Amino acid sequence: MEAMTRVEAEERLKTVFGIEHFYGEQWKAIDRILRGERILMIERTGFGKSLCYQFPATQFPGITVIFSPLIALMRDQVRSLNKKGISAAYINSEQSQEDNTLVIEKALKGEIKILYIAPERQENQEWIEATRNMNLSMVVIDEAHTISTWGHDFRPAFRRIINLVQLLPKNLPVLATTATATKRVQRDIEEQIGGRLTTIRGNLSRENLYLQVIRVNSEDEKMIWLASNLVNLDGTGLIYTGTRVDTEIYAHWLQYCGIDAIDYNAGYDADTRKEVEKGLMENRWKCIVSTNALGMGIDKPDIRFIIHTQIPASPIHYYQEIGRAGRDGLPTRIILFFNENKGKEDGVPADYSLPYSFIEGSRPGIKKYERVIDLLKQEPLSEREIMKRANLKQNQIRVIKADLIDQGIIKEAQYGTKQKKYEYQYKANELDVSKFEELRKAKIKDLDSMVNYVYTDMPRMEYLCKFLDSDENSVYTNCDNTNLKKLEVEYDEEISAKLEDFRDSYFPKLELAAHTLKSGTGLKIRMPYPNVVEVLRNNEVVGTYINKINYSEFGEEEACVLRDLSDRHQHNASRLTDGYAASYYGVSNIGAALHRSKYEGGGDFPDFLLKKTLSVFGKKYREIKFDLVLYVPPTHSGDLVKNFAIKFANTIKVPISHSLIKTRETEEQKIFQNSYSKQDNVKDAFTIESELVRGKTILLIDDIYDSGATLKEIGKTLTERGTKWIVPIVIAKTVGGTL
Amino acid sequence: MTNQELTYWVTLALMPKIWTRRKNEIYVKCFEHNPQISVIDLFEDRSCWDELLLTDEEKELFSAAYEQLPNNSFMVEDMLSQGYEILPIHCDEYPKILKKNLGKAAPTVIFTKGNKELLNQSSIAIVGSRNADKISLQFTDNVAKRISASNGVVVSGFAKGVDRQALDSALEAGGKSIIVLPQGIMTFASGFKQYYKHIIQGHVLVMSSFAPKAPWSKEFAMARNPIIYGMASHIYVAQSDDKGGTWSGVLDGLRKNRAIYVRWPETGEKNANVQLIQKGAMAVDINGNTIKPDAEDLKTEEQKETEILNDKIVKILSSVDSCSSKDILIRLNIDWSDAKMKKFLETMSQVEKNKIKNRVYYSLKNSQSKNLALDFE
Repeated sequence: MEAMTRVEAEERLKTVFGIEHFYGEQWKAIDRILRGERILMIERTGFGKSLCYQFPATQFPGITVIFSPLIALMRDQVRSLNKKGISAAYINSEQSQEDNTLVIEKALKGEIKILYIAPERQENQEWIEATRNMNLSMVVIDEAHTISTWGHDFRPAFRRIINLVQLLPKNLPVLATTATATKRVQRDIEEQIGGRLTTIRGNLSRENLYLQVIRVNSEDEKMIWLASNLVNLDGTGLIYTGTRVDTEIYAHWLQYCGIDAIDYNAGYDADTRKEVEKGLMENRWKCIVSTNALGMGIDKPDIRFIIHTQIPASPIHYYQEIGRAGRDGLPTRIILFFNENKGKEDGVPADYSLPYSFIEGSRPGIKKYERVIDLLKQEPLSEREIMKRANLKQNQIRVIKADLIDQGIIKEAQYGTKQKKYEYQYKANELDVSKFEELRKAKIKDLDSMVNYVYTDMPRMEYLCKFLDSDENSVYTNCDNTNLKKLEVEYDEEISAKLEDFRDSYFPKLELAAHTLKSGTGLKIRMPYPNVVEVLRNNEVVGTYINKINYSEFGEEEACVLRDLSDRHQHNASRLTDGYAASYYGVSNIGAALHRSKYEGGGDFPDFLLKKTLSVFGKKYREIKFDLVLYVPPTHSGDLVKNFAIKFANTIKVPISHSLIKTRETEEQKIFQNSYSKQDNVKDAFTIESELVRGKTILLIDDIYDSGATLKEIGKTLTERGTKWIVPIVIAKTVGGTL
Repeated sequence: MTNQELTYWVTLALMPKIWTRRKNEIYVKCFEHNPQISVIDLFEDRSCWDELLLTDEEKELFSAAYEQLPNNSFMVEDMLSQGYEILPIHCDEYPKILKKNLGKAAPTVIFTKGNKELLNQSSIAIVGSRNADKISLQFTDNVAKRISASNGVVVSGFAKGVDRQALDSALEAGGKSIIVLPQGIMTFASGFKQYYKHIIQGHVLVMSSFAPKAPWSKEFAMARNPIIYGMASHIYVAQSDDKGGTWSGVLDGLRKNRAIYVRWPETGEKNANVQLIQKGAMAVDINGNTIKPDAEDLKTEEQKETEILNDKIVKILSSVDSCSSKDILIRLNIDWSDAKMKKFLETMSQVEKNKIKNRVYYSLKNSQSKNLALDFE
């Protein structure tokens, strides 16, 4: 298309976006984009990078496609573009299949100017098919640091986007944007995008972020500080924890202290996540406790504080995560906790261990790679087939797969329209593990730099900008190394006591009733019985069936089929309810005690486990009238669970039955690395006579909860035999494969 | 060559309404131009179009194809990520033999999966009917194994019958094979699954010159034949009818002076193998060894019958001056129509035709024999 002058462009900018002028660097980028060039923009959050593609997109004849890993960003930007009358849409996994298809149809008809799409889509045949007939004007790579393996958040799905960019015609404009790239990552992106590429790098300093670090000696100190100080912070904000479990624990603790908090993590379903994100925009809570998944790409100007209970993996992660706050330029509190209490065995600060173990555990062992290669030398296999045959966890197989594709050892080929299989390549190289080691070392170096942030006496923003190789001339201030005071945790007896109470009364939930059924129509029908206490309080179902189907959206016939499906689903649905564990495995001494009894011949479970489990029972199940106690029959560990269940039943004075038995040998669940194999291991493995259980409300006892596959299978067996409710209770719940 | 060029090559190859020959001509002009014009410039720099002497219609077609470039980059990316390879005519891996045999009619781009080295190894094609007889399959098996034993590559077309036999026998003998598809290469999933092990061990290469997602069609099956012939230094024919793909393929090959070997059929076989040998193909026995059939053997049953009939007619005509075709029919006592006999007589080089008062009489050329016609009147 014809290039235009800045004056012309700004006239159009005013009409379409209601903005008077571009910044200098914005125009520099836009001018080149309009001439069909390739640009890499490294600018801080809030700079206005998105205008650099949104404006040209409105001027081009065809469609602009933006590859973005951030679903929340897509939603935000599409909403605001549509408000301006610019036709924008997104395609991602959160939206239903039908909606995605609809968007593709509109894009094919030229009815969409700006299309946001998740990089994973490049693997989707419907999308690839559609690209054959789309009138494409520009390609944008958002969060471009994720295309570099040296970037702090590498996403394998971007590999294909890079390959695509290298194949795009010479004069098709390409814009890559990021707020966080070191020189090394910058060079990597430049090389990968190739062609005539101009890099525009701006200042990264954010002076309105008030940076402070709190060094503590225990987890309790973090919780105590938050309980006493959170309410004094202005506005609303985010607390980032290191693990999903911690989001739950911290949120419950704050609630326990009467603070308006809620938890959020990637484990929640899309509806819940959307609801929390919406609440974030509306300042519904004082704070949201979340893993770092929340807030990325959200265009909220006034996040007033971000507190990390754990150090992130590197200063870049940290800069990126805190960058989401204070986009309005007003003073914003940024606080980092660091537990420097050194472990007795390793002498390593407590808060160093978690991110360190993430790095160490981020790649499966070489044997596992070899297992996958050997399998694929025999026949092409899908991801699921590899998982089952190689006995690997899903996240392991994903890492292995990405690495093997990266090294050209395997490729992902389409078999038919739906199925993908992996193929070994003729003359493939041997697996090169030196690359893994190099990456691991680089990551540990980054982590060490993050720890140095805690102890540095440099202005903290300067430290971060230096790490990002930003050679700017800024005056760095506003931190506890310059003009702000150093924060400390003050001992507070009352809150300490409260924390102890909380720890005694907080029990992990077992989400067993939450599995969803996908009907043939692609609709999700939620399990009808979501909450044990609500369901059983009156021994009645109290309007808890969540039916998200809006029948008026369907034709009469379709609605009929759906109603039928839903009825049948309700009728057949497992009567297994959610349950509770007395504790997390691996937290406190409970895991150790279980391990001693189970695997070290330490005899029956010690009494404190019984006491702790009875305490859950007392707190959560008191109002439920049970007819019978059953326990999960053992695999190898003998009568531990049986003896435990007998004592338990005696105490709560409910009859116990030993008639739930196995119809065949099963293996210990812990040797299976993925849920498919676990399900297979216990499928149809249990039986009991119907007369014993029909119409009864049953307490089902087990020692350790991991995938839930065994409890679900027993739930199914008992449901088929007419059991009214099955309420599970276990001693400990594992946290992401701690066994 | 950069990957970016592949997008342009594929766009050139898939351009409709221009013959492959013409596309290659245009590229050769680019190549010979000083300074050289790259395939990227060919699309991006319209100022070179006049120098390349593109017609107005071609310019329009190139403009339309230019709009397809971004779309084709998506397709090329999809192909590469699935392990397909794209070989433009100018690259080193492109089979030299194909260029030598087909010249400018060689496909502008071929799409492959498997061991590309096979493309430039000595290769022999085995072709034949889809409904081949047992003996033809035996021949195919013998030849494929023999080629494999001498480390040659067997080229075939993945049709039923002879094609599949050629492939399977070669692989069974531990040999190597090239499959030339009558369809787009991305529609061959079942084949890739079936021959997976052979492909990843480097024993098989699959190639196609058609739009990657185009399904099988009769036209492609026909268009694919010259490529099979073009990919081979020698061509073995197991069995051919007197029409169809094999027949026309061999005739085309003979016109181009290709080395074509046709199995010498056993007595009573109903096929057109002998005709092909008569037309210049070399005869081979069941093991693929060249044989020299004597002149009498070269005649088909039909030909032999014709010769006998010929002799009889000459005998009749030599005893008379001239004679009508009806008379000949009566004397021969055969159940032919008058028209058929007239047609047959036309083909006889020794016979000439005379018209006497609206009636047609036949006589031997330069014949001194008497006119016996009156005898009948």
